[in-house]
Amino acid sequence: MAAAFATRIRGIRMNDPVSGIALGVVIVGLALSTFVTRTSFLIAGARLRLSHRVEVALRYAPVCTLAAIIVPDILLHGPNATLDLSPLNPRLIGALATGLWLCWSRNIFGCLAAGMAAYSLARLYL
Amino acid sequence: MTPPVIDRRAAFRGGQRAIIPSLFGAGAWGMVSGVAMVKGGLTVPWAIMMSLLVYAGSAQLAALPLIVAGAPLWVIVATGLVTNLRFVIYSAALRPYFADQSLRKRAALGFFMTDFTFALFMRSAQEGKLPGQHRDAWFAGVCTNNWLTWQVFALTGIVAATYVPTDWGLEFTGTLALVALVGPSLITRPALAGAVLAAVVALLAHELPFKLGLFAGAIAGIVAATLTDAWRQRSPPASAASA
Repeated sequence: MAAAFATRIRGIRMNDPVSGIALGVVIVGLALSTFVTRTSFLIAGARLRLSHRVEVALRYAPVCTLAAIIVPDILLHGPNATLDLSPLNPRLIGALATGLWLCWSRNIFGCLAAGMAAYSLARLYL
Repeated sequence: MTPPVIDRRAAFRGGQRAIIPSLFGAGAWGMVSGVAMVKGGLTVPWAIMMSLLVYAGSAQLAALPLIVAGAPLWVIVATGLVTNLRFVIYSAALRPYFADQSLRKRAALGFFMTDFTFALFMRSAQEGKLPGQHRDAWFAGVCTNNWLTWQVFALTGIVAATYVPTDWGLEFTGTLALVALVGPSLITRPALAGAVLAAVVALLAHELPFKLGLFAGAIAGIVAATLTDAWRQRSPPASAASA
């Protein structure tokens, strides 16, 4: 129903339109996938004892996961996700501007402003 | 230099303050997710429900084309699960900090944890900036502000989808906020080695289905960082190792 409505107003063609209830089930399923993963060890963990080595490894979880999120977002482009290592890549320029600002000041707002300004200028003029 | 904290409210407010400078990233990313839900074909009420219940931009964006194409339920949920696999690592890393909290609190803190709030918590913990007590309240403050901002902007994006420009690259603000957060951690050699390998593996494996490349990169990076760390501890220590 919802999907059919969406199709009508947006002209998007769906092979197999999802009905309202099916969409509700999908959303609940996705919500569960978020809840289960986010709470996994927090819920099951109280009785668990992890080895020292694992505890050390987990200290590097933020930096490694974020690198795996950030770098493809900067370097892969377009529908085919082609690698763009050119120094004129606007996202690369924006990220470098944020990095440079970070060396100078730890003010995150300044970093975001510098990065977005460099990124936007590079996109408009390069 | 752990700041002295008197009560839970102060800890909560401390967390709220700690995330304020980065909220532009959360807002931009939330708005772009909201716009994408509607432009991708969801009606406004369903898009709102998706945003409130799922609260995971990357999983929502990964699932959307499958929903619109009428993919089977299990494929959509499997995509959500795999896209969210990194959260399993996050929850394992947070576990020791909240082990003494009630089940309900641990579940709530877990549900409201995101890439950014997790990374901010871990960095603050490593820099000794967490309050001595009531760390759960501090983290709840961080997550509350992040959630509110994300949802307000996501709802704005959903309702005003046709008016929000999608070609300005607003969502890049979210990536830059992560860059600013992770940058200072790169000064140690294990962290740098882990980040480089994680990035290379994620790039090489980006064509894997279900966004598995990200998870593969994260695991490879964590292994590399841990090995570098162990190797550094065994070689003659240049500086006092902090355990």
